[in-house]
Amino acid sequence: MFFYYLDLAWRSIKKTPFLSLLMVLAISIGIGITITTLNIYKMASINPAGERSSTLFAVQLLSQDVDTWQRINEQITYQDATNLLKSEVPVRQTAMFRTGLAVQTEDENFSPILEGVRVVEGDFFSMFAVPFLHGGTWSKQVDQEGGYKVVISEELNNKALGGGNNIGKTLMLNRKPYQVVGITKTWQPSPKYYDVNNGAFNDSEQIFVPFSLAPIEEFESWGNNNSWRHEDIRNYNDRLNSEMHWLQYWAELSSPAMQQEYQEWLGRYIEQQKALGRFKRPDAKGEISDVATWLTTNNVVPEDNKVLVGLSVLFLIVCLVNMLGLLLAKFLKRAPEVGVRRAIGASRMQIFSQHLVEVGLIGFCGGVFGLLWAWGALSLLASKFDLTESLSQLDQSMWFIAPVIAVSAAIIAGIYPAWRICSTNPSVYLKSQ
Amino acid sequence: MFQIKPIVSMLLRNKSGPLLLLIQIILSVAIVANASFIISERIGLMSRDSGIAESEVFDFSIYNFDDSIDPVTQPLRDLDIIRQLEGVKAATLTSMTPLSGGGWSSNFSHGTSEEDRKDGPNAAIYYGDEQMIPTLGLNLIEGRNFYPDEVNAGGPELASLAIVSAQFAQDTFGDEPAIGKVMYRGNIGTQPMKIIGVVERLQGAWVDNDNLELSIILNVELASSFNRILVRADEADIVDLKESIPAALHKEHPNRVVRGFTTISEHRISVYRNHELMAAVLSMMVVLLLLITSLGLAGMVMFNIERRTKQIGTRRALGAKKRDIISFFLVENYLICLIGGVLGGLVAVQLGQQLMTLYSLPKLDLIYPLVTVAGLLVLTTVAVILPARKAANISPAIATRSV
Repeated sequence: MFFYYLDLAWRSIKKTPFLSLLMVLAISIGIGITITTLNIYKMASINPAGERSSTLFAVQLLSQDVDTWQRINEQITYQDATNLLKSEVPVRQTAMFRTGLAVQTEDENFSPILEGVRVVEGDFFSMFAVPFLHGGTWSKQVDQEGGYKVVISEELNNKALGGGNNIGKTLMLNRKPYQVVGITKTWQPSPKYYDVNNGAFNDSEQIFVPFSLAPIEEFESWGNNNSWRHEDIRNYNDRLNSEMHWLQYWAELSSPAMQQEYQEWLGRYIEQQKALGRFKRPDAKGEISDVATWLTTNNVVPEDNKVLVGLSVLFLIVCLVNMLGLLLAKFLKRAPEVGVRRAIGASRMQIFSQHLVEVGLIGFCGGVFGLLWAWGALSLLASKFDLTESLSQLDQSMWFIAPVIAVSAAIIAGIYPAWRICSTNPSVYLKSQ
Repeated sequence: MFQIKPIVSMLLRNKSGPLLLLIQIILSVAIVANASFIISERIGLMSRDSGIAESEVFDFSIYNFDDSIDPVTQPLRDLDIIRQLEGVKAATLTSMTPLSGGGWSSNFSHGTSEEDRKDGPNAAIYYGDEQMIPTLGLNLIEGRNFYPDEVNAGGPELASLAIVSAQFAQDTFGDEPAIGKVMYRGNIGTQPMKIIGVVERLQGAWVDNDNLELSIILNVELASSFNRILVRADEADIVDLKESIPAALHKEHPNRVVRGFTTISEHRISVYRNHELMAAVLSMMVVLLLLITSLGLAGMVMFNIERRTKQIGTRRALGAKKRDIISFFLVENYLICLIGGVLGGLVAVQLGQQLMTLYSLPKLDLIYPLVTVAGLLVLTTVAVILPARKAANISPAIATRSV
């Protein structure tokens, strides 16, 4: 029966090509706009941590004085970072920041390049599931005592060292020799959740060096440095001892019990610092947030995207109302024909489902065209506004979502006209024939 | 004269069609009014004058990673080398690039003693020399520029003279003249910085910040291993300078990275990209929405004409002119459009209110729903008249036929 209805629907569409085209156009544009904005929104709000999302926690401290900024900063001080690293509660933990170093190789002809560098603890790689091509992270000893070890990306390995397994080779960073201990596969979490203040959709770093080298090599900070009071910072040591917030801190806490325990540990740490006279505000506290919460509180999805999704949903509703009006017009015009069919035995249910199939078909066509619109719009926006691929790619789920939204929206819009037409009284039309 | 009464009673007899049209118009007005308001707000942001000769100025950075390079004298030598290159009109070391999205900002205090201390607004801080003003192409409206021998090389603590933007002077000192005023870093008395000049306009780096127009130039050439330089040159010469500057600097010392070379115009494009994207998507939405609405309107009129063929024929036979038929359709749709416009305007204001509370959008200006309704009326006219002319051509003879 379904295929017979499909056939009928196709005939009916062909009979009124202009009106049908209008309806397909209306719904396809609505779907196109909605899918475009939804896609950008979805790509921006993806949780890149996957299943690790609930065990990775950003650590923040409300440590500044009362009459400065009020919010809890997303970064912490070096003093606090070194103290937090002493906690034995988390499975793994790392303090980190972004810097930049000039890369040279032993090849004299390689002209130096400046690369973004992430300064991390050795645990960083397993915490954030960075895949390795060769080798792995540096030893715990390096984390304790400092050591000139480096992990580089596949891309930099190809660019600077000519590719291949270069474990054990030397890379010059700011003229100091570093031994390559690991080469990662291309790794680009989007958004770059582990450090949102350096542009959440920027490229991830190509080079990773030990955090323990920071006081020795005095790496500059290439991120936000927030001071809540004026401090005379003249050298790196001043910076390390200052109240400046410039480090990101993450801890891996594998169970709710452990999270509870860490919260308590943080509480004791705060009390201890208060006793030392460092944290002056009475409501000083430590906060941990998992990746999902972290992305929300940092507004990684720009507000504009939410406004656009909201407006485009309203837009889709307009398209549906438009379609509803046109459907009503079209179906009512067919009332005499339906009257005859009813008179020779078609039940109301049959008439109703026949028309719904027709509406569904129109919706499906609209969905397919809408996908094309969305694909075109996204490519256009990507080329004109230099969007990163991660934002402008049509998400695979959209191939499913678009027709489903289109068909179900069309059917919702079609219920009323289909009901109107199946509930007309056949005798009225029979008389006038 | 417009036969409003029969039209209203006709609309009331057959409610569902007009009601749907009404809903569509209400939603359209609400969306279009808010969308065009956001678009014009973004265009307004983007069209603010930066005060800078944007297409003639570019920035680049030098990173000296060799410890043997002296961080105080080398940047000054580099600057000399750059200034002597062909095509360079002016050049300065700088702490930040305007409209680049990153830079320095700070609050300074002013007053005569700690008791009447006032903290000035947060402003962008440009550390540079006497060529900062000619390099950026700023318009000095009061006071004077730095003299070359007044510029110090070293750290930020050496700043002693300031040139401020007119907006900064206005916000900090009101109507009092800014020239001669002294600002301090932190407590009153620490590191006095005297204002010697006011430029008409100079924007900072963060275009979404309320304090974009507040800027201060201080007389220090920052000494560091990481130097940023601004250069002014004719647009035609910039391509060549991108080659000749790194070559000259590498000849001076090979152990350094020279990179960047972005004009302020290019910085402007990328710093406003999100706003432009928003405006583009919304414009697309507005155009398509109006298209859909007018097509829907035209479709309804066409359907009505077909349904009312007999009625129209009868009216024509009874003496109605072609004009009357067209105006019948027009008035009918104007009525729906006006009612929809009024209700839509109310919904638009509500939606604007919601957007304002949920997101950091300004309050919807009432002119936008009004203009939208006016625009919709024009659109209705076009969408109705085209098919209605066909209706007017219906022959009166049709009334005499039985079907």
